[in-house]
Amino acid sequence: MTAGAELDVSPPEVSVRIGARSGAILALASLAGLLLFAWPLLVPSPTGWAETQGAPVVFAALVPVIVVIVLSQLSDGGMDTRTLALLGVLTAINAALRPALGAGTAGIEFMFVLLILAGRAFGPGFGFVLGATSMATSALFTAGVGPWLPFQMLAAGWVGLGAGLLPGKARGRATVGHLAMLVGYGIAAAYLYGAIMNLWSWPTLTGIATADYGGPAGGLDYVPGAPWLDNLRRFGLYTLLTSTAGWDTGRAVSTSIGLVVLGRPILDVLHRAARRARLS
Amino acid sequence: MVHRTVDRASTIGLGEGSDEGSAPRRRENLLARPRPPKVAAVSSAVASVRSGWAVYRLPRSLHPVAWWLWALGIMTAASLTTNPLVEGLLLAAATFVVVSRRDDGPWARSFRLYAILGAAVFVVRILYRIVFGGGDGDHVLFTLPRIPLPSVVAGVRLLGPVSLESILYGAYDGLQLGTIIVVVGAANSLASPRRLLRSLPAALYEIGTVLVVAVTVFPQLAESAARVARARRLRQSSAQARSWRERSRLVRGLVVPVLADALDSAISLAASMDARGFGRAPAGSRRHRVMAALTAFASVGCLMVFAYDLVSGTLPSVALGSVVTVHLRDALLVAGVLAALLSIRLSGHGVRRSRYRPDRWLLPELLTVACGFAPVAAVAAVGAGPDAAALSPAILPTLDIPTLPLPLLVAAVVALLPSAITPPAPVATSEATA
Amino acid sequence: MITLDGVTVRYADSPVAVLDDVTLHIPEGDLALVAGQTGSGKSTLLGCLTNLVPRFTGGHRTGRVVLDGTDITSAAPRELADLIGYVGQNPLAGFVTDTVESELAFGMEQLGVDPSRMRVRVEEVLDLLGITDLRRRALRTLSGGQQQRVAIASVLTARPRVLVLDEPTSALDPVAAEDVVSLLSRLVHDLGLTVVMAEHRMERVVEFCDRVILVSRGSVRSGEPREMLSVSPVAPPLVELGRRSGWSPLPLTIRDGRRTARAERTAWREHPPVLGTLAAATGEGLVADGVVVSYGSLVAVRGATLTAGAGLVTALVGRNGCGKSSLLWAVQGSGSRKAGRITIDGMPAVPGDVALVPQTASDVLYLPTVAEELALADADADRSAGSAGRILDELVDGVERDQHPRDLSEGQKLALVLAVQLVREPRVVLLDEPTRGLDYAGKAALTRILRGQADAGRTVVIATHDAEFVAATCDRVVVMAEGEIVDDGPARDIITSSAMLATQCARVYAPVELLTVAEVLTARAAS
Repeated sequence: MTAGAELDVSPPEVSVRIGARSGAILALASLAGLLLFAWPLLVPSPTGWAETQGAPVVFAALVPVIVVIVLSQLSDGGMDTRTLALLGVLTAINAALRPALGAGTAGIEFMFVLLILAGRAFGPGFGFVLGATSMATSALFTAGVGPWLPFQMLAAGWVGLGAGLLPGKARGRATVGHLAMLVGYGIAAAYLYGAIMNLWSWPTLTGIATADYGGPAGGLDYVPGAPWLDNLRRFGLYTLLTSTAGWDTGRAVSTSIGLVVLGRPILDVLHRAARRARLS
Repeated sequence: MVHRTVDRASTIGLGEGSDEGSAPRRRENLLARPRPPKVAAVSSAVASVRSGWAVYRLPRSLHPVAWWLWALGIMTAASLTTNPLVEGLLLAAATFVVVSRRDDGPWARSFRLYAILGAAVFVVRILYRIVFGGGDGDHVLFTLPRIPLPSVVAGVRLLGPVSLESILYGAYDGLQLGTIIVVVGAANSLASPRRLLRSLPAALYEIGTVLVVAVTVFPQLAESAARVARARRLRQSSAQARSWRERSRLVRGLVVPVLADALDSAISLAASMDARGFGRAPAGSRRHRVMAALTAFASVGCLMVFAYDLVSGTLPSVALGSVVTVHLRDALLVAGVLAALLSIRLSGHGVRRSRYRPDRWLLPELLTVACGFAPVAAVAAVGAGPDAAALSPAILPTLDIPTLPLPLLVAAVVALLPSAITPPAPVATSEATA
Repeated sequence: MITLDGVTVRYADSPVAVLDDVTLHIPEGDLALVAGQTGSGKSTLLGCLTNLVPRFTGGHRTGRVVLDGTDITSAAPRELADLIGYVGQNPLAGFVTDTVESELAFGMEQLGVDPSRMRVRVEEVLDLLGITDLRRRALRTLSGGQQQRVAIASVLTARPRVLVLDEPTSALDPVAAEDVVSLLSRLVHDLGLTVVMAEHRMERVVEFCDRVILVSRGSVRSGEPREMLSVSPVAPPLVELGRRSGWSPLPLTIRDGRRTARAERTAWREHPPVLGTLAAATGEGLVADGVVVSYGSLVAVRGATLTAGAGLVTALVGRNGCGKSSLLWAVQGSGSRKAGRITIDGMPAVPGDVALVPQTASDVLYLPTVAEELALADADADRSAGSAGRILDELVDGVERDQHPRDLSEGQKLALVLAVQLVREPRVVLLDEPTRGLDYAGKAALTRILRGQADAGRTVVIATHDAEFVAATCDRVVVMAEGEIVDDGPARDIITSSAMLATQCARVYAPVELLTVAEVLTARAAS
């Protein structure tokens, strides 16, 4: 009868680890994703375009592949059950927070609050996965599954990822400065998310001015091969007219109010749950 | 009653560890799916066909992936043409299949939302043409007062004359986009996402489980929120001040307990999953994981270069020998997709998990997918033939009336066939979907 | 079957050992009951059997755990899934999928059981547990007892040799609890399964168990039920009575008790003992007249009229789902009410008159410390700082002000929720299922608190199905069924005349109307 084995297990930790491999893939995939979002600004000449008019359709098929690869690599090697269950529950809450008709590119209201706070509390990998799964789940509930979904998953993943990458320590009581930083990030994320989703929908929703159809030469349409600044100007106007005053600002305001009012208590609750050791 | 179950229990040897005696094996055979009786098969070919058909027609849910592939085929065809007649036919075919083959699950009802969304996109595209200058072409329908804009936005035309051509341009595109959305909706309501999640490859098992948990927890959240909202009223401040502070407190009193509750139950769930063997399947060897990561990297790299080249067109074609010329871009696409498949396969390598009552892939699934891709074949055939112009009826400079080549009509009818040749959806009990 | 050898557990957040050098052996085929006061380490002990402690919870553990000759000390919980089945306190929280059938299959899927064999096992277990008719049901729509049975079924499909359950009946009404306990007993007898369960409501289990494991402040003793119960700090009323009476052997079943007490009973039948007089109402108290509550087409309360006198404690009893909660919430005013008039001492009730402690007490708490909750209560009620704190101290001792409310014990949480509402000086106090998760000491403390409130002239109404608690605490009993009030009378009359509500003492001494151990002892002293 010896003392036997000794088990010393450190307190539970909730995170989706980003290792060297998955980190590299996440970085490359983000770059690729950015390209797939921003391609309208990168077409160098109308000639190349003429033969590849199917680009938006092809890209809509490529993004899911990239999202799937990144997610499979982030979860490779097994996710521990605590992380997985918390991801599941937070995903459900996020899906519930998204307004019923959030289909397409419409606004996400309070979803960013929890996404940013969870990314902050549990790190960039967790934030990325939570953003992606939240979008997927809310799409299941709101008839939002469509070509836009993988783009939304990627963009929301970036929002969570960014929250996890912000400087400062994530543990302990959040200071005022810390909260202010989160609010600033929330506002930036709200507008950038809106802009990048608009960039995706812009050529699709307005139509593309092509040789067949001249279109109003100076309209808001995307003109392939035009100087990128020119297209950027058109896009800027488009997004200003369609989204900035409405959805994007609404999202920025609701996100910052949510972070101010609920930031600290929610962070407390998240930390507590993650560390809860005893079985009830 | 109790005695019977007890007797049965004592024969099955539960609690005897994992050894499987011969008794369970015999029972497995009894429970195997019904087969046509042998006697009938021998005696009469007609009877055999009839009973085969009866088995084929047994109500069941089609493999969810079959519906998605069917929809993917129709979407591809829809994206390759702007002919409103073809779009209309495909739209009608998809709608008809949904009506005849969806089950009574909660997702089946989402089709209406997609239809609304599709209609909205159609309307928006036409409105867009009207608002931002729709004056191209000869057939001006009406003229709206043009609103002058400051010089910063030079070139943007607001309102003004509206021509039939620009409205048609918006309508063709809008119908195409709307059709795609409605077909996505068809796939959504025919294939329950929950069952689709069960068909995910092993590499995505964890992510799939996150989604399953989310979908399961979702209704509990509403109950929890209602309970807390009711309890919160017990402590309302006597001063019913509607101040900023008071309001933020109300929100906090609702959000914090609901969130804390949900997270607590998440921890219980995690413990239960741990104790029930979740993640027990080995994660694959280090070598496999490194290989999976490398192929993933290669895949994303290839696809990225492919995408860039698609819009910029800088990569050359390479001649292989004298006959075959390969465009480097296409090679990148193929390599990227293959590497992606390989990576996903490698990530799931060695996983020893199994599936309870897996969705089976039988003849109806195959036929359904084939029906979905018939329109793609028809569009490709028409595009290569003399009627190619029918795929995208011209608007400018001359306004053509859309025509419908016969192959496209036939293809649309074929796309409709799954509504008849697939087994009907099972009738679920009302409790299961409650 | 299972042997713990010198097991010591410390959690990361505290230097105190939760289990201290525990050595324990549970033979194969035993139904073992783990008993002990709240916080004594029962859950931790169960966690050690499944290795969730410390593998899942974190912490430091020394000593060895041996299962059937195999050292499983360092095995991960998931490696034990086909050896040890674990059912947590709240079955609903442990469900991964959404329908009964898929939940039964989940564990086997993880183990990689062949699909055709999986199908067979699901059918077998559905039959074995008598839940075949539930197979396609959504888990959420099941009743508590059904959920518990499905939870047990879902671990049985992996064919474990040991079943570990944490408080499997604490949330169930007596009938459902009896079902679950007899099911477990059947599994032990027919399949030779080894079952280890923790349970506060020992009276429900004690007659079926082969072994009692006492956990007290980190140390563990185990042995024959009679032997252990004679020294246990927690014991069901019948055992308590036997111990106080010096009966040997200690009665564990009502039948044993009746046999032992036969002489005394006969004597008291001829010369009935003098019982304490019934407390009289000091005022009209609460009158809820013709209350109707309905949710859509579902009618929860069907024109019930509830009266509860001031200065009395009234019990509202009935099976789960009979409308008790809905009635309480409607009376309080926060829940929906389609019809009905609420008066208190003849005056229409105004907000603040009625306090209510909800079933999940923590629903009301959302601040990070006890002190902040108390300060907020003072501010809300416009009372001087410290008022709620003084009330809390009167109710229970030693609630640390800087603790997180969710870290309090169930009893402390109840007291805190009560305190933050009592500061408004309500005239009526309602409690919805307050005894859930309380051990015997906790219940005794709650009885003292509620009697104190009644003595202060308040009207107290408790919805519960805990017969022993009703007998010890309440003056009147109102019985509800299907949204209607079907009986109403003095506690003694109702309890002694009901088969389901009768306490253990009442059953032992029937037809002599004695309800609690204390009453029996008083009667003895008088005669």
